[in-house]
Amino acid sequence: MSLTSIRLIWFRELRDQLRDRRTIFSIAILPLVLYPLMGMVFLQVAQFLREHPTEVKLMGAAELATDPALVEGDRFAAAFCPPEESQLLNLTVSSWVLEEGETYAGRATAAIRGGPYDAVVVFPHSFSARLSAFRKHLCSAADDRDVGASELAAQIPAPEIFVNLANDKSRIARDRLERILQRWREAIVRETLRDSRFPIEATEPFRIQATDVSEESLRRAAVWSKLLPFIVLIWALTGAFYPAIDLCAGEKERGTLETLLCSPALRSEIVWGKLLTVTTFSTVTALLNLFSLALTGILLFGRLSRMGDVAMRVELGAPPLGAFFWLLVTIVPIAALFSGLALAVASFARSSKEGQYYLMPLLLIMLPLMTLPMLPAVELNLGFSMLPVAGMMLWLRALIEGEYLLAARHAVPVIGVTMACCWLAIRWAEHQFQSEEVLFRESERFGPRLWLRHLMRDRQDTPTATLAFGCGLLILMITFLASVQATAPADWSALATRVVFTQLGLIAAPAVLSAWLLTRRPGRSLLWHAAPRGSGLAAVALAVALHPWVLVLGTGIRRVYPLGEETLRALEPLVAAISQAPLWQVLLVVALVPAVCEELAFRGLILTGLRRLGSDTAAILISSLFFGLTHGMLQQSLAATLVGMLIGLIAVQTGSLWPCILFHATHNSLAIGAARLGEYVSTQGGLEWLVYEQVGPLGGELHYRGAVLLVSLMFSTLLLVWFRTLSRSDTVNS
Amino acid sequence: MGSWVLGLAKQESIRSFENLAKTVMIHVRHLTKHYSDLQRGPIVALSDVSFDAFPGQIYGLLGPNGAGKTTALRILSTILRPTRGQVTVNGFDVVRQASEVRRQIGVVSANTAIYDRMTGREFVEYFGRLHGLDRATLQERIEAVFANLQMGASQDLLGSKLSSGMRQKVSIARALIHDPPVLIFDEATCGLDVLVARALLRNVAELRDQGKCVVFSTHIMREAERLCDRLAIVYRGRILAEGTLDSLREQYGEEDLEELFFQLIEGERCP
Repeated sequence: MSLTSIRLIWFRELRDQLRDRRTIFSIAILPLVLYPLMGMVFLQVAQFLREHPTEVKLMGAAELATDPALVEGDRFAAAFCPPEESQLLNLTVSSWVLEEGETYAGRATAAIRGGPYDAVVVFPHSFSARLSAFRKHLCSAADDRDVGASELAAQIPAPEIFVNLANDKSRIARDRLERILQRWREAIVRETLRDSRFPIEATEPFRIQATDVSEESLRRAAVWSKLLPFIVLIWALTGAFYPAIDLCAGEKERGTLETLLCSPALRSEIVWGKLLTVTTFSTVTALLNLFSLALTGILLFGRLSRMGDVAMRVELGAPPLGAFFWLLVTIVPIAALFSGLALAVASFARSSKEGQYYLMPLLLIMLPLMTLPMLPAVELNLGFSMLPVAGMMLWLRALIEGEYLLAARHAVPVIGVTMACCWLAIRWAEHQFQSEEVLFRESERFGPRLWLRHLMRDRQDTPTATLAFGCGLLILMITFLASVQATAPADWSALATRVVFTQLGLIAAPAVLSAWLLTRRPGRSLLWHAAPRGSGLAAVALAVALHPWVLVLGTGIRRVYPLGEETLRALEPLVAAISQAPLWQVLLVVALVPAVCEELAFRGLILTGLRRLGSDTAAILISSLFFGLTHGMLQQSLAATLVGMLIGLIAVQTGSLWPCILFHATHNSLAIGAARLGEYVSTQGGLEWLVYEQVGPLGGELHYRGAVLLVSLMFSTLLLVWFRTLSRSDTVNS
Repeated sequence: MGSWVLGLAKQESIRSFENLAKTVMIHVRHLTKHYSDLQRGPIVALSDVSFDAFPGQIYGLLGPNGAGKTTALRILSTILRPTRGQVTVNGFDVVRQASEVRRQIGVVSANTAIYDRMTGREFVEYFGRLHGLDRATLQERIEAVFANLQMGASQDLLGSKLSSGMRQKVSIARALIHDPPVLIFDEATCGLDVLVARALLRNVAELRDQGKCVVFSTHIMREAERLCDRLAIVYRGRILAEGTLDSLREQYGEEDLEELFFQLIEGERCP
C-alpha cells in the first residue's frame, strides 16, 4: 500500500464531499441550527405546560366541615395552596351526596372520562364526623387517650384522588393535589396536638440533613459523563453513515467507482482513502454536534434556572473542559470503527436509496451497546470493558469523572477490544471491495420461489458461505426459541431427553438436511472424510493435554463475568442431576451426542461453507462464534468460542470431522470427569500431587498443580505444532 | 515539452514499429467467466475466448449488447477476475500483477464516468497523480493532452456542468494522462452525437498511429468497419470469427460487414 495514494484519495474524497451542499448541511449547518432551534421549542413547550391550569373537581365538600378549612369559597385555602399554585388549579367544588346504587369511583371516573376534569378528589361520607371523633378522643384525659385511638383512626375513611395516569396533565394535577392535601393534613396534626396539649416537636424530634460532599465540578461531570459519550457516539455513527453511502453506493450509481478501480490505486488503498474520509466526517459531525448541544444546553438550563421552575432546575452547568479533551482523544478510534462498519455495509448497496435502508439495522445493533452504559448499575469493570463500544463509553465516563486509576486499569482491554473491532471492520470493508459480487451486484428479481429454485438448481459440491451463514443463524434462532419455551428439567431423564432432542433435532438435523438437500456432495460438505493417520489419536491427546488449561480458562471467565445469583440457583438442580446420574449415561448424553451433533453442524457444514469466503482464519472465527453463541450462557459461550477456534483449526488442518469429534468428546468427558474427581477429592482426599480444590460459586472447583499446567502446556504446544505440519486441507472449490 | 514527449513517443513508435508489431501487447487464452444469477442460474459470460492484440493496431470486439464484450474488457482492466484462462497485458498477468497491468492501460467506457464535483483539470490531475507522475511532468502531460483534445475553457468547469461530449473528452484525457501503451475503449461512442462520436473515432485512430495498442468494443458496424485493423465477432460469450476485415470478407464471401455479422449470428442461432 502506498501512503501517497491513500492520502490522494482521502483528500480528493474530502474535497468532493465538501463541495456537496447536502453534506455541508447535514454535518455543519444542521447541528449548529438544530440544537438552538430545539432549545427554543423546548422553552416554548415548558411555557405552554406551565400556563395551562389543571381542572380539579372536589366531591363531598359537605364532609369538609373541619378546622382548619381546606376550601375557602371556590378555591383551596391560601394556607395550603399559595396563590401561584392556586392559579394553576381550576377547582370545582360540589357538595354531593351518594345516591342509591351509586359509588364514589363510578361518579369520579365518569367525571374524568367524560368531563373536563384532570383529577377528582373525593371526601367520602362521614369523613368529617369520624375525624372529629378521633380528634376529640385525643383531647380527652391523657390516661384514656391510648385506648381506642387506633380503632378510631382506622375508622376514618380515606379521601381518594381519582386520576387518569395515561394523561400527563392528569398526572400533574395529582401531584399538585397531593401536595395541598399533605399540607392540610400536617395542619390538622399540628392543631390536634395543640388541642391535646402535646408539644408539636414530638412529631419531629430531630431533622435529617443530607450533605453532598461532592465537588461541584464532579457533580456536573456525573451528568455530562453519561450524556456526552452517548451523543458523540450516536452522531459519530450517523456522521459515518451518510458519507459512506455516498462514497460507495453513490459512486456506483454515478459510475465513478469503476473509473477509480481502473486506476493503479490498489483496492486496499481505495478502502483506506475512503475510510479516512468517512472517519474524518464522523469525527467532525460528532464534535460539531457536541459543541452545539453543549452550548445550547448551557444557555437553556441557565434560562430555566433563572425562571425558577422547581422541576426544571437541574444542576447542569458548563461541561468540564477535561470532558472535551477525553472525547477528542477517544472519538477517533470510535469513529474509525463506525466508519469501517458503515463502509462495509454501504458497499452492499447499489444506490444511495438502498444504502439508506441499511442504516436502521446497523443502528439497531449499535443502540443496545450504546445505551447499556447509561443504565444506573453498569460501571466500568473487566467484563464490561471487553464489550465493544459499551466498554469505550464506560471508559470515557470514568475519564470524564476523573477516575484515572480505574480508567488506567482498564485501558488495555478497552483499547485492545476497540482496536480489534476496528481492524475487523476495516478488513470486512476491504473484503467487500475485493468481492465482485458486492461491487458489481445488479438488481435482480427476488422471490421465495425463485430463491428456492435457485437453491436446488444451482446446488454446488460443497455449501456456499451464504448457506453456512443461513444454517448458523437458523440453528441459533431455533435453539434460542426452544430454550425460551422450555421449563427447567426436573430430573436427569428430563435433562437427558432435552439435550438429545436439542442436539439431534435443532443442531445436527438442520446441518445434515442442508448438506443433503442443498449440496451435491453431502459427505464432503460435512467433512465426512477419513482423517490423516494419527490425527484422531493426536486430537484425543490434545484434548487431554489442554484439559488443565480449560479449567483455568473456565475459572478465569467466571472471575471476570461472575455467575448471577439467579443463574446459580437455576444451575444447581442441573449440576445435582448430572452428578447423581450413572456415569455411562452422562458420558453418552453430555459428551458424545453433543460432540457428534455440534461437530456436524459447526465444523461440518458451517466451517466448510465459510471457508469459501477465502480466509480460513475468518471462517474459523465466525464458525466458532456461531458455536459459542448456541451455548446460551455468556460464560459458556466465551469458553466454547475459544475451544471452537481450536477445533476449527483441527478441522482445517486435517480436513476431516473425525479428529474434531474425538477432541470434542474427550474435552466434554474430561469436564464431566473433573466434576466427579472434584467430588471424590473433596470427600475422600488424595491425589494432592495432581490437583487441589477451591470453593467456587458452584461448589468445589478443581485446580491442577502448577507443574501439571507446565507439562500440559508443553505437550499441547507440541501437538499443535504437529497439527500445523499437516498439509492444510482444501475444501475451497467452486 | 508535452508535445515533445508525444512526438518522441510517436517517432519511437514509428522507428520500432516493425519490432513492436511482433510483440504481443494483449494476450488472451481460453478466457472463461462465469457468474451466478438468481433467475437464470449460472451464466457463462465468456467461454473459451482467445485473441491477441498488437501495438499500432486497433483490435475490435464487435457484438450485440450482452455478448460479453464489457466482461472481457473488465477482465483486461483487472476489475473482474477470470474464472479460467490466461490474460496478459504487456507481459503482466491480470490476476497476479493487477496493479502493473493497470499502469499499462487507459480505460474509457460507458461505465467509467467522471466526478461531478471536480473540474476536468482536477479530475485528470488526480488520476495523473495516482499514476505517480511528478508535478512537472503531470502539468506538461495535461497541457499536451488537453491541447490535443481541444479541451478549451471547459476544462475548468465542474463535471456536472459539462456536456456529454466534453465528459467523454475528459475521460479520454484521464485515460491518456500516463501515456499507457494500451487503450481500451468500451462502447465509448455510446450516447454521443454524430459530431462528437466522429471526433472520438478520429482520436482513437490517432492513438493507433502513435503506436498504441487499442482495443475497441462496439455494436456499431460502421465504426468497426472504419476503424479496426482486426476484428473479433463476439456473440453469447464466444468469438464466432476473428481476423482482419479483408480476411473475414474473403473467408465468408461477404463484402458487407453487417451481412457477414448477421450470417454468423444466424448460423449460431440455428446451426
